[in-house]
Amino acid sequence: MSFKIARSEGILLAIIAAYCAAVAVINPAFLNIDTLFDLIRTSSRDLILVMGLLLIMLSGGIDISFMAMALVGSYCATWLMMKIGWQSAAVLIPCAMLISTIMGLCNACLVSWLKLPAFIITLGTMNLFHGLMATLVGTRTFGGGILPPSFSAFGSATLFEIEGEYGAVGLTVSIIPVIIVVVLTWFIIYKTMLGRGIVAIGNDENSAIRLGFKPLYLRLFAYGYIGALAGLAGSIYICQVNAVYPDKMIGEELMVVAGAVIGGTSISGGKGKIFGAILGVIIIYLLKSTLIFLGLSASWNNFFVGIILVLSLSFTAWQEKVRNDRHLLFKVESR
Amino acid sequence: MEEYAATQLRAEPHKGDPQGLPLMVEAIDITKTFGDFKALDNINLMFKGGEIHCLAGENGSGKSTLVKVISGIYTPDKGTIVVNGRNYSSITPVQSMHEGIQVIYQDLSLFEHMSVAENIAIGKLRETNQRLVNWPQIYEIAAEQLSRIGVNLDLRQELREASISTKQLTAICRALAMDAKVLFMDEPTTALTSREVDRLLAVMSELKKSGLAIIFISHKLDEVFRISDVVTVFRDGRKIGDFPSRDLNQRRLSYYMTGREISYPKYQRTSPDEPSFIELKDLCKKGMYENISLKLRKGDITGCIGLLGSGRTELALSLFGLNRPDSGQILIDGKEVSISSPTTAMDHGIALLPEDRAVQGLFLERSIAVNTTAAVIKQLCSSILGFFDFKKERSAAVDSIKRLKIKTTSEDKLSGELSGGNQQKVVLAKWLLTKPRLFIMDNPTVGIDIGSKSEIYEIAQQLAHQGMAILLLSDELEELTSNCNRIAVFYHGRIIKLLEEDELKDPHTAVFINAAIASGDIAKAQAAAKAARAGAAVQTSAAKEGK
Repeated sequence: MSFKIARSEGILLAIIAAYCAAVAVINPAFLNIDTLFDLIRTSSRDLILVMGLLLIMLSGGIDISFMAMALVGSYCATWLMMKIGWQSAAVLIPCAMLISTIMGLCNACLVSWLKLPAFIITLGTMNLFHGLMATLVGTRTFGGGILPPSFSAFGSATLFEIEGEYGAVGLTVSIIPVIIVVVLTWFIIYKTMLGRGIVAIGNDENSAIRLGFKPLYLRLFAYGYIGALAGLAGSIYICQVNAVYPDKMIGEELMVVAGAVIGGTSISGGKGKIFGAILGVIIIYLLKSTLIFLGLSASWNNFFVGIILVLSLSFTAWQEKVRNDRHLLFKVESR
Repeated sequence: MEEYAATQLRAEPHKGDPQGLPLMVEAIDITKTFGDFKALDNINLMFKGGEIHCLAGENGSGKSTLVKVISGIYTPDKGTIVVNGRNYSSITPVQSMHEGIQVIYQDLSLFEHMSVAENIAIGKLRETNQRLVNWPQIYEIAAEQLSRIGVNLDLRQELREASISTKQLTAICRALAMDAKVLFMDEPTTALTSREVDRLLAVMSELKKSGLAIIFISHKLDEVFRISDVVTVFRDGRKIGDFPSRDLNQRRLSYYMTGREISYPKYQRTSPDEPSFIELKDLCKKGMYENISLKLRKGDITGCIGLLGSGRTELALSLFGLNRPDSGQILIDGKEVSISSPTTAMDHGIALLPEDRAVQGLFLERSIAVNTTAAVIKQLCSSILGFFDFKKERSAAVDSIKRLKIKTTSEDKLSGELSGGNQQKVVLAKWLLTKPRLFIMDNPTVGIDIGSKSEIYEIAQQLAHQGMAILLLSDELEELTSNCNRIAVFYHGRIIKLLEEDELKDPHTAVFINAAIASGDIAKAQAAAKAARAGAAVQTSAAKEGK
């Protein structure tokens, strides 16, 4: 598969470029390597999560419990490590991933067996996972002073540093897991029959079954995968902020969903691109981080994201309408 | 006559095969019941390689059930399926696939967001249990299968952008890629234009030559005769018999299928000869049709025939407010009107029965009552407060069911549970409640069995006798010649010929129309009709001399 930038992704790139140019005109301080490095660092968590979400949405499902899984996985792993006395961030990550994967597999089973919309099921499990954690494990906040120093060391580690205008700035090491996850997701989607099967059930589950695909296994993989990524993303996040709160992250899942949708991922399944999903998340973080350069308060963030989301969906719907009008089709499709 | 059919039941199947064709699948004493309903009753049947075998029968006669038993979706209550010499008392879908049995369902089972190539190759990759995907191999598989059927398609095209005919061929190639030896095709030609049908039938006979057993299910009897070698007729879950198709004709086949004589009544306009009430003047829409002028009188059933892109569907949509013309006039009762939306079309007394009744004509998940009254909701509301009156809805639905003889247990039944013919009657009922003056029917009998077909014709003719004007769009020439008193021939966006009542009396009009829609050349078509007339004359004189 040759790497070709599709039209929708080209438009997103153009929007990003135009927006950056506009911000730079208003506030030249924006054009700084510092801004870019900061963007990469803060968006790492959601870039990882959106890869899992993309796979889920390709399968024709949705998962809004991933932030809960990220929180519960990283919280429980931290709590466990504190109990036992382990100190290394290298233990935190696999531990959190394991816990979150189990939660993801639960989602897969429920979606497959109950045959209810995945949105409703994961809305339920989101609260279930969080509630279980709060009642069984506790709601204590682990602050920077209590956490093992290796956490913050990993969270603030850099690959290299550049002497910038305002002192040295570095590229976060969390870009490495992000790149690995992106490449791995690309490989799964385009290079394995597993990935093609997931796309197939997202397109038309019955047809996929007729060809011999097994939706249960494919779902177990997809929901397990986003679970594992949630554990990873949650661990990176707590290391970056160097604190574990029992109620953070939850509530931010819809921004990641918005990113995927802005990037052209279809809500009805079977269609979506890696590059698009990345750009969708980048746009959201770009808006978030540039408010300060524009002298706007944080409350403008939702407003901007809302506008981009509505515009991008309108654009897709309009394209569909133009195509249908040309072919004199009058059916309503929810794509 | 019934007795004659009964003897056929016991008649030898075409066993003593002179060509020595290999036996691919044999069904022995297959019985399948659903509750009290016997869907298949002791069916014995053989499918042979190198033969096109048609399964004919009305809806619910058991032909689709048999396909599902052989492909492993249903488990038979009794009986054996023999495939490649192996006996199965029941077969799983995977076993069936491994034995080379492939079914192309009406929905085609394709993946809209994948390319044509991947759609072709994915079944084979899955079947051979590949773990990794090798894209060059996918294109190789796709190209190989396409060359096998001698067709060229854009392999990288996303499937949802492709035409229905391309999708159909893609589905065939997928089956071939999975080493199909026995290929079932369920109503493959329903959504195709006549030119695409020709291409598909050519592909089918190509596959037959390469030794495949092809089993073809179709309601279109002319195609059955054109392509099949053997026809097996089903009725009420029983097999009526196997017939070499050269021994059958349309009349006999429909008699076997329905158990009664069916002949389509010929329409004769009886309305008083008053001037037209709808007139189209020089209607144009760029790229679709141009200079369309047509007058419609009360009681006219005007047939419209032409290939895809000939402009007839586009014109019909314009009359219903779904495709605004660029220029020209539409006059109703002598006054120019602008039909900008379906609502204004309905206000002017125009109704449209769409071609795709499942998507555009019905709410399949809603009751008959809801569907029949969907176009007249406002009239069912109480006059004072405007609340919806469910009693009125019910009585309107009950009246419609009676009037159109819709076969159902109750008006609350979901329309999706009805047979195709009864579904179409629900759509008719819905529009009749709006009391239209002009009723546009776009291929009203697609995928409908013969019995229901003639009922729909009766309804249409009755409406015309009562003074309704009907515009009948159809690909079936016979449908038009028996129901219409005028036929407009469309070609490249123009009406190249409007045949009036007298001209339709000529038995060779069919030759003329077929030549005209294909070539667009009136002179050529007239020559063809003349030749046919001369040929017929020679034959009759020869027959006389022979005596």
